[in-house]
Amino acid sequence: MTSLLQQCFNGLVSGGFYALLALGLAIIFGMLGVVNFAHGAFFMLGAFGAYLALAEFGVPFWAALFLVPAVLFLLGMLLERTLIRRLTPFDPLYNFLLTFGLTLVLQDAVKREYGVQSQPYPRPAELSGSIDLGPFDYPAYQVFVLAAAIVLCAAVWLVLTRTRVGMVVRAATERPELTGALGVNVGRWVTPVFAFGVALAGLAGVLAAPMRAVNPLMGADLIIAVFAVVVIGGLGSVSGSVLAGFAIGVAQSLGNLYVPALSQTLIFIIMAGVLLWRPAGLFGREEART
Amino acid sequence: MIRLLLHHTEAAGRRPLRWLLLAAGLTLALALPWLVYPPVAMDIATWALFAAAVDLLLGYTGLLSFGHAAFWGTAAYTSGLIAIHGGLPFPLAVLGGAALAALLAVPIGYLCVRNTGIYFAMVTLAFAQMIYFVANQWRGATGGENGLQGIPREFLGADLSDPFVFYYAGLPIVLFGLLCLWRIVHSPFGHVLVAIRDNPARARAIGYPVDRYKLLAFVLSAALSGLAGGLFSISHGFASLQEVYWTTSGKAVMMVVLGGIGTLWGSTLGAALVVLLEDYLSTSGFNGIGLVTGTVFVLVVLLFRQGLWGAARQLGAAVSRTARRRTPRRRADAPAAPVPTTSTTSR
Amino acid sequence: MRNSTRALTAALAAGTLLVAGCGRGGPGGGADATVSDDKIVLAVLNDQSGVYADLSGKNSIEAVKMAVADFQAKYGDKAVSGDIEVVSADHQNKPDIANSKAQELYDRGHADVILDVPTSSAALAVANVAKAKKKLYFNVGAATTELTGKQCNKYTFHYAYDTYMLANGTGTAVTRQGGKNWYILYPDYAFGQDMEKSFSAAIGTAGGTVVAKDPTPFPNDNFSTFLLKAPGLKPKPDVLGVMQAGGDLVNLVKQYNEFKLREQGIKLSVGLMFITDIHSLGPDAFAGTTFTDAWYWNFDDRNRQWADRFTARTQTRPSFAHAANYSAAMQYLEAVQRAGTDAADAVVGKLEGYTYDDMFARNATIRAADHRVVHDVYLAEVKPRSEVTTDWDYEKILRTIPAAEAFRPESAGGCTL
Repeated sequence: MTSLLQQCFNGLVSGGFYALLALGLAIIFGMLGVVNFAHGAFFMLGAFGAYLALAEFGVPFWAALFLVPAVLFLLGMLLERTLIRRLTPFDPLYNFLLTFGLTLVLQDAVKREYGVQSQPYPRPAELSGSIDLGPFDYPAYQVFVLAAAIVLCAAVWLVLTRTRVGMVVRAATERPELTGALGVNVGRWVTPVFAFGVALAGLAGVLAAPMRAVNPLMGADLIIAVFAVVVIGGLGSVSGSVLAGFAIGVAQSLGNLYVPALSQTLIFIIMAGVLLWRPAGLFGREEART
Repeated sequence: MIRLLLHHTEAAGRRPLRWLLLAAGLTLALALPWLVYPPVAMDIATWALFAAAVDLLLGYTGLLSFGHAAFWGTAAYTSGLIAIHGGLPFPLAVLGGAALAALLAVPIGYLCVRNTGIYFAMVTLAFAQMIYFVANQWRGATGGENGLQGIPREFLGADLSDPFVFYYAGLPIVLFGLLCLWRIVHSPFGHVLVAIRDNPARARAIGYPVDRYKLLAFVLSAALSGLAGGLFSISHGFASLQEVYWTTSGKAVMMVVLGGIGTLWGSTLGAALVVLLEDYLSTSGFNGIGLVTGTVFVLVVLLFRQGLWGAARQLGAAVSRTARRRTPRRRADAPAAPVPTTSTTSR
Repeated sequence: MRNSTRALTAALAAGTLLVAGCGRGGPGGGADATVSDDKIVLAVLNDQSGVYADLSGKNSIEAVKMAVADFQAKYGDKAVSGDIEVVSADHQNKPDIANSKAQELYDRGHADVILDVPTSSAALAVANVAKAKKKLYFNVGAATTELTGKQCNKYTFHYAYDTYMLANGTGTAVTRQGGKNWYILYPDYAFGQDMEKSFSAAIGTAGGTVVAKDPTPFPNDNFSTFLLKAPGLKPKPDVLGVMQAGGDLVNLVKQYNEFKLREQGIKLSVGLMFITDIHSLGPDAFAGTTFTDAWYWNFDDRNRQWADRFTARTQTRPSFAHAANYSAAMQYLEAVQRAGTDAADAVVGKLEGYTYDDMFARNATIRAADHRVVHDVYLAEVKPRSEVTTDWDYEKILRTIPAAEAFRPESAGGCTL
């Protein structure tokens, strides 16, 4: 029983990364109608940013946690203004292709500079021990990651539901045509929302640096799993994506334990099942699919 | 439909040019192993068919598949296994691979075509990743990460070990595949696909079972990708996990976009470009192949969306316009709208 | 439409005639079995930008050039050929590119031997090319035992390391040193499965027990499921044997440290580890970990001397792959010298059964039965940072595993040349 609880906890930790990435994907998609293929690359840049900040400038983890997402926010703004925006008048597939190309460029640029070897990044000293969670002990850092993921998702949720900005974004995400028709100026929020999604991916990357291998390819395989997560949750639904993220994390963790042969394919089998049952995803609505 | 009709009448007016181009293309295909290293020539030919098959979906049905490596790779393994264990002539092995790819495309396609646009791209990508994991674990059949090695090139006892000779043995399969694609695109079925691409709602209203058409296009595209993949594994003598990895799907899409979406011949041009570039970069001593191909790709998507073939066609049209000094038929000369333009407004 | 079909048929017919007329006259048509002896070409085909770039990559080309220079200095005018060239290509870890490039190197680059070729699928693909072209091939970078097993051939030699040697060395030595109970984690693909099999066999032979073994997904970034399970196993394992490589290994080690398994008395033993892995994560992350190494630069004076020369050229310390490429190139050239020709069959004849002792390969024999090059290998332990005295001084050699024990017995591989 304890071990089952532990495994669920494990799943929630890796689900936290899915959730953060899926959240960014979903709000970018909601606002721009663009699926950002480069989301995994931004995750990688976040982790690399943390590494470089520490190795080159001695910036500690806690500072990197704010600094790196800020830098990525600016990068996101730049990319939206110079590249993404040019393609918004055309079919959204073009932006998907653009961000695919961008992924190749970012990955290879980092690879050329730093090689594919994993870079070292230590855990912050404050979180090096373990925490007594009642039935079991758990590494403090992982508890922190889970808490951070939950707090961030909740915070974004509050912003989306309680503020005017959030209302606009949510309205644009869930009923794009209607929002425009009601005379809400969606356009001015496009750049900051895109940049925010990028920053969120970067933040997830910083969180990943102390516990995962920091290398140029760390985002590449992850992003495909995150795609499956948002398909399961429903791209049009922000909360659905986040919930699916955590749920898939737990499912994978239990899968590792009980059906190791399926552990890699489990997520895609779940996706196939969801597509059969509800093509728009568990929380999505039909019209959000195009 | 209007665009289609225009396209048709206009095409009739350019018949001679079309034949000239076709002859030039064929000559080039036949001369290729004299111009480039024969194994590389074979790669160009197989990738050209693969890219053109992907273009059947992207350019003519409006579905961006980011998971065609699943079909290319499945066929590569299947053809290899047939050639190794069956001892059959290689064209039969290739056909067997294509058949299994088509079979695999039925359930995957059934689940995917219910979605369009971005969703379709993501779902195909995810399914292909699943096939990748299966191939990686199913060591008995695929050899895992060692790959399936030692695939023979058997053809009625003929010695095909020389890649130069094998190019001519394999080329008919590629040409057959391209011919199939050409016929599909210009058949009534192909015209329905284009109608679905341009306005699915209207196609549905007219009474076409849209999803079934899309599924059929998906399966055909997978079968032809399989034809290319099977030939690829026979020509290299092995099939590896590389064949089912998502970068392979990405490479095919990249070729289509470089060449020009919705222009079958453009895809072959794109394939040649990418294969030659990779070949060149591997001995140039420059690390960062993705940096080069990625940058070129981003620039093409940003500035050059009609691709090489589309640009050439526009240029050709402009030249003939100035030469003939006649009223230009602008709409007709513009390349067929690359990707469906159903939801053009930004949200 | 009928018109089009006819035109197509005509074009095809014309093409067929064209081909028939030219026959095998095209470029690249038919490789000649005997290469002119006025030039020896060594080709390094490896990964210059991907996962193996640091382990081998461009610096292996430097190592091969060093071997050529040393060979020329040794024989001077008596060398079999005054003109020795080193060429290279990047296969990007893609077997199809490796395959085409290998053909091109043999055919057009007039390569007499291809060296290195990491990534097992690429390595095996090149072995098939070598067999077809009847040209020599020394694999250094790949770990698969298939090269000297079922897929062995007359022209392929396997240098440096393989999965059997890695697993057998560590499994045997660590068990003998008291690590009786093992918990093994292996990535669920061919490499991991092979490693697990060899490891379990070695542990059993040495008198240990595998308490449990689990396949893990590949790639994987969360190993907590398994790490949490470890202390609860009955009996509690003394050693955690992990077969992961690259990024997965880094993930696993980070999490191993996080869950404090070493403090709970479970040591870490790694199947495949390179000095470049230790360098990238820093010795602290791996301190106390045991693994098998094919060569270590700071082992003795002979190695250090060579390493210093290497460092002078490359500004970095050599990995075993660099040293092995040097050694393989040198042994190839020596064999050519002995044969007096670079004709492949004659050189193979001089290599088979040859015994020698060089900077890299101590007490070495090139086995005639399967072309495995056997030599002494080493059980190494990663030093804690406090014991590291100079750059790249990461390993403490616990034991030399003699050549005869280190590699798979030649009868076990199923190789028929």
